[in-house]
Amino acid sequence: MTQIFRLRGDAAGEALAEVTEAANLETVPVPRAAADVPRRRHARRWSLYITGFLAIALILLAIIGPFIVGDPNTGTVTARLKGVGASGHLLGTDGQGRDMLTRLVAGARPSMISGVVPVLVAAVIGSTLGVFAGLSGRVVHAIIMRALDVLYAFPAVLLAIAIAAALGPGTKNAIISLSVVLIPPIARIAETETARLRDMDFMEAARASGANRASIALRQVLPNIGPALVVYCTAAVGLCLVYAGGLSFLGLGVAPPAPEWGSMLNDLRQYIFTNPTLALIPATVIGLASIIFNLLGDALRDALDVRKEARA
Amino acid sequence: MITFVARRLGYAIPVLIGVTIVVFLTVKIIPGDPVALLAGPGATPVQISALRDRLGLGGSLPDQYWHWFSHAIQGQLGLSTAKQQPVAGMVWSAFGNTLILAAYAAVIAIVLGLVLGGLGALYPRSIIGKITSALSAISISAPQYSLAIVLIIYLAVNTGWFPVSGMYSTNGGGFVDLLEHGFLPAITAGLVPAGVIARIFRSALLDVLAMDFVEALRARGFSRRRVLVHAIHNTVPSLLTIAGLQLGYLLGGVVFVETIFSWPGLGLLVYQSISARDLPVIQAGVLVSAVAFVVINIVVDSLHALVDSRVRVS
Amino acid sequence: MSAALSVTDLRTAFGGKRDPIRALQGVSFELNSGETLVLLGESGSGKSVTIRSIMRLYGKTTDIGGSVRLDGRELMTLPEGEMRKIRGRSIGLVPQDPTGALDPLRSIGSQLVEMLRANGMATSRSAAKARALELLDAVGIPDPKRVARSRPHQLSGGMRQRAVIAIAVSCEPAVLVADEPTTALDVTIQAQVLEIFLDLQRRLGMAMILVTHDVGVAEEVGGTIGVMYAGRLVEVGPAAAVLASPRHPYTRGLLESLPRPGIKRGELPVIAGRPPLTGERIPGCPFSPRCPLAQPECRIERPPLILVEENRLAACPIVGHAAGQDLREKVSA
Repeated sequence: MTQIFRLRGDAAGEALAEVTEAANLETVPVPRAAADVPRRRHARRWSLYITGFLAIALILLAIIGPFIVGDPNTGTVTARLKGVGASGHLLGTDGQGRDMLTRLVAGARPSMISGVVPVLVAAVIGSTLGVFAGLSGRVVHAIIMRALDVLYAFPAVLLAIAIAAALGPGTKNAIISLSVVLIPPIARIAETETARLRDMDFMEAARASGANRASIALRQVLPNIGPALVVYCTAAVGLCLVYAGGLSFLGLGVAPPAPEWGSMLNDLRQYIFTNPTLALIPATVIGLASIIFNLLGDALRDALDVRKEARA
Repeated sequence: MITFVARRLGYAIPVLIGVTIVVFLTVKIIPGDPVALLAGPGATPVQISALRDRLGLGGSLPDQYWHWFSHAIQGQLGLSTAKQQPVAGMVWSAFGNTLILAAYAAVIAIVLGLVLGGLGALYPRSIIGKITSALSAISISAPQYSLAIVLIIYLAVNTGWFPVSGMYSTNGGGFVDLLEHGFLPAITAGLVPAGVIARIFRSALLDVLAMDFVEALRARGFSRRRVLVHAIHNTVPSLLTIAGLQLGYLLGGVVFVETIFSWPGLGLLVYQSISARDLPVIQAGVLVSAVAFVVINIVVDSLHALVDSRVRVS
Repeated sequence: MSAALSVTDLRTAFGGKRDPIRALQGVSFELNSGETLVLLGESGSGKSVTIRSIMRLYGKTTDIGGSVRLDGRELMTLPEGEMRKIRGRSIGLVPQDPTGALDPLRSIGSQLVEMLRANGMATSRSAAKARALELLDAVGIPDPKRVARSRPHQLSGGMRQRAVIAIAVSCEPAVLVADEPTTALDVTIQAQVLEIFLDLQRRLGMAMILVTHDVGVAEEVGGTIGVMYAGRLVEVGPAAAVLASPRHPYTRGLLESLPRPGIKRGELPVIAGRPPLTGERIPGCPFSPRCPLAQPECRIERPPLILVEENRLAACPIVGHAAGQDLREKVSA
């Protein structure tokens, strides 16, 4: 609820006269119990710390992973399909006798790369497009947004599959495909926020001072739309991890025998009837990683006080 | 209202044309020369170029596009290179199966989502509320394929309750058989939308319940139940807003579900065509899905405008 | 004959046991049919809380004490199901923001029809529809059929307010309560809307409570004024008399601080200090920190409402003639 002015009895006589022009005293909502508010804020900050910590841990794991474990591709046939907790293999072995834990840790890097890089690429391209569209005249704006609408008309997963299928398997192609899929939503957020800012007074001041569009974009718009973009992109990492895993699952991402969580899952699918728990492991890992980033996005949104957008 | 729908339809046409262009271009970026592959290793250059012309793949890019587009509009989507059957027939019957699955999943998603979201909104501090909000947070993130595998393991392999593949049993048929076979795939496909719906419904309901007019309704002497009905009515616009997106997600995500459960739908068809490099089928499959998505969005938007007349004026 | 509405020592506290916010600290008044009470005060004074407490619109975390009798019947001890029947049917509320008070997705007509049928005022849909059109006409809406078909966002602010009033009086309640009925309106429409209230009151013989921060409303409507400060009534009396010669130091300060023709900016007197927050605890008389007449005793004991002259109550021993007149009398206008 908005507050109008307070009828201050202190020295500001002039302001008071202004205020009391319509005998307008003030409107304040019914107060809620004061004890609630700090507790909620406290909880929010904790969730930010925890999810942030976990996300950073994942990224670190991705970076140093391959250095701290052995070769993920060696396996002996005799050691195949051991269950969780077998000696020497904490999480068991897969169909070719390769240690699951090793493969998971080593697989963190390709999985995280496929999850994070497309978001970064799409963030740069998408926000440039969106801000540009937001600051441009009607025609340019319309052209850009309609073009994006065409991409939006495809179910995201299908588009990713179609592009990745067309380009062929491989991490690079998966990244390209996922970037293309993520550009429209990011561009839309950038455009919406830029349009919202465009009507504000400080933008007019910037234009009046003779600044060109690029510098306005960089100095005024970007810092203000930053929070919304960061929040979306964090959640997008979660989504992208899942999509990337899915592409690998279908045989379109990282080529075997390189470890990657999605392709590990695909590989273990055939053993579902004999050793079901094995397949659970990479499945859980992908899910957990995605949840962490989604929750981080939520926590960031609360912390940065970004308005909720119904984006799914 | 009519003008609204007409406007939306008119707006959709350029988008649909753009969609066909994207689908066309997507296949064009595939490396290698599909015609040469098709003609076989022993073909002469003359035979290859004749084949190329016959398939409409000679000439400039716009010409090729027009050739493909004009045939597609008439329902001729070409011949499957892998199966030598008309693509149109394959795609339509597969699409029908996907629609069945999508409908099944949608029902589960809506029921589950509304129940979880509603409980979360009405009893926010109770155990139920906390559980439902945790569940919806998890279900949003869960990868479908992971979930599918978990469900298969626990609801089929270990218990034998539900079948894990196909649409009907080999010697079975009929509605109940369909429901049984469709149960696991439908839950898998519908769980993420259920989570999203739960979340949106919960926050929309909480928002509405905090609005002034709820107090005004109580002051009119309406029972809690009647006030709740009106409150829920006011969440429908928000729900419809995301409904379109969620249906799109369903249409796209079925690829995984159909692959895992061997459900003979469009997703499985596209997947098999990817392995077989069957370009006409891939093209047609993606095209049909995209067109269906656009049409669904128009329908959902129109429903939204029907319920909330504020939307019509913009 | 019992009064239409009789409120005795109404106390309301939010937020539960540990640290309750005492928004109302003992409000009492009595209203007969056809009479009007204007509750005048700044925000935080408790005026909106008063009417919501009377209608028991708060939830379980709010503690309401005291007595409210509607035509002799005690409302505070009624089970919720019975209280629900009272709301709308016997006590009508005109909420503060007309836009917020209406369901944005449904037409005015359907909301009126629902109000009538849910409260048992009409048996058939057609009867309800006809009555709805009559009501819209009664609040001065020129084209009732068009407005009945319209959704709230298609109407102007003034029309919405009239629609809300129509809903509130549709069941011919004994008591009509209006929360800031003119705040959301243009100045030009305010007078019209107030006239509608008075007209309806004449026709239906309702007891009316108008809550406002706008002194102009009190002037326009007349009746009795109850000035509220810090969750209590500090002055009660006939409107014209209170506005012409306020007795309580707060009322005096308030009226003097309003701009009048002839007064230049900079000359406007100001009440020192700031108004208290809802439920803020102040020892003794709540106005004493800001009162020009304050004595040491004022900080110790909270002064009750006393009769300071004929037909005037004020919660200040200094302005009241202390000739032993410590009567806790309710005033009727």
